[in-house]
Amino acid sequence: MKRNDAEDRLDARGASRRKFLRGAAAGTAALAGAPGAAQAFDFETFFQKHFREMSDEEIDDLNARLARKYEKKYGKPFSLDATGPLDGVVFGYGLDISRCIGCRRCVYACVEENNQSRDPEIHWIRVLEFEREQAFRSINLEEGNPYYDHETVPAEGKLYLPISCQHCEDSPCTNVCPTGATWKEPDGIVVIDYDWCIGCRYCIAACPYGARHFNWGQPSIPKDEVNTDLHLLGNRPRPKGVVEKCSFCIQRVRKGRYPACVEACPVGARKFGNLLDPNSEIRYLLKNKRTFVLKAELGTRPKFFYFYG
Amino acid sequence: MADDGSNGETGVPVAIRTVTWIVLGVALMGILGLFAIRCELGPEAARAYPSRTLAAEPEPVLLPPPPIDEDYFPCMDCHAGEVPNRTRRELEDDHDDLELAHGDLWCHDCHTAGDYDRLHRADDTAVGFDESWRLCTQCHGKKLADWRAGVHGKRTGYWWGAKEYRSCVECHDPHSPAWKPIEAKRPPKRPAEIRLGSDVRLEEVPHEAE
Repeated sequence: MKRNDAEDRLDARGASRRKFLRGAAAGTAALAGAPGAAQAFDFETFFQKHFREMSDEEIDDLNARLARKYEKKYGKPFSLDATGPLDGVVFGYGLDISRCIGCRRCVYACVEENNQSRDPEIHWIRVLEFEREQAFRSINLEEGNPYYDHETVPAEGKLYLPISCQHCEDSPCTNVCPTGATWKEPDGIVVIDYDWCIGCRYCIAACPYGARHFNWGQPSIPKDEVNTDLHLLGNRPRPKGVVEKCSFCIQRVRKGRYPACVEACPVGARKFGNLLDPNSEIRYLLKNKRTFVLKAELGTRPKFFYFYG
Repeated sequence: MADDGSNGETGVPVAIRTVTWIVLGVALMGILGLFAIRCELGPEAARAYPSRTLAAEPEPVLLPPPPIDEDYFPCMDCHAGEVPNRTRRELEDDHDDLELAHGDLWCHDCHTAGDYDRLHRADDTAVGFDESWRLCTQCHGKKLADWRAGVHGKRTGYWWGAKEYRSCVECHDPHSPAWKPIEAKRPPKRPAEIRLGSDVRLEEVPHEAE
């Protein structure tokens, strides 16, 4: 009786041990080759290889499988691929803090483009508000306030600094990942294989910029708002219990487009381009503007440059 | 003995010669090898994306501008036949809502007096309303350089293709060009406000029950 009470309580809190055991039993049965029990256990998912160890055919199969899954869940067709990096391209980002007005249009453009969970809420971009006078002497990220709520922006005497993944050349997050689920691609984009993320959150602790976010709850995206143009390592809907972050809109930029935040910015504060192309916008501003990176002293070498235009 | 001696005399040079040839051979192979690697790198190092150059874009191609307000344009519908009044004054009638806050400029610095459908630069060259950036940039030269490079102004489209340019007046009101405050989107939720699925608050997530 006592034991049942305890189990009921666990059920009520949504963490049922019985459910877990049922799943495990079904898994064992499927492994033993019992027909009919396979529904509770997806063989292909369980034995899925790491992204970088998969052949092109295996990646195609995975994409097709996931696209079917999403179609079933959201009731519309999805285009899911894993477009690779381009030769001679390393991406860099520029943000003009003299222009940013803190309107947060980038934040919500990012949420919609990258299928971030609406409830519980996840934002890949945080716009920090600083006292202007203080920020001109030195910027201390811990003093930035992301929760400001003014009728109109920019507010008098404030300075705004949006922050998201800095795509570090020497990225602390990828160094600490125990499963190799996150790594830096040849074009500089730090990506995550959501199927290999075990949710340990070491990377969140390692990131000096607070750029990584954890799916504590089951992510929810309204069916009519879900973006169906997906990249396997980017904006595909994530499961509960994995880490996610900005991917420079990998599904867009590897096809030549600008990231969604760049196109959403009403004041044109956001710049993007190829660091290896001497005629790119990012190279122009590195050459002609006063640029800086956040927490340069840590030696992470971000490819996200702030500048004062 | 003489043979031995001659053998001995030539023996030492043969050894030296052999070593020299080996060294030369290795050096030659090294050079050839490097050359081969260079040749191999040549085509690979070529960029796989279409590069764009500033020099190749002397004339920016603008996105289609928003339509001109037909209540005001053409100007000469109202201004025909009037004698231009160049004195600085409070604006009246149809222009009383016009906020003038652009340095010390007055109407006739940009709109040609007596021919208001025409804009002109300081040297009196005509500029069409669809090319007003040519007028603005006679003062804002540094902005022109940034704009041409794609660093001043809103960016849309493709980072590798041809740039999409917007004219200055699409973002700036030429009569009062400073950016006006706009409404902000709602702030993010604080961690304490975020609920996980049902009614579980973040700080109430149960730890492993044991």
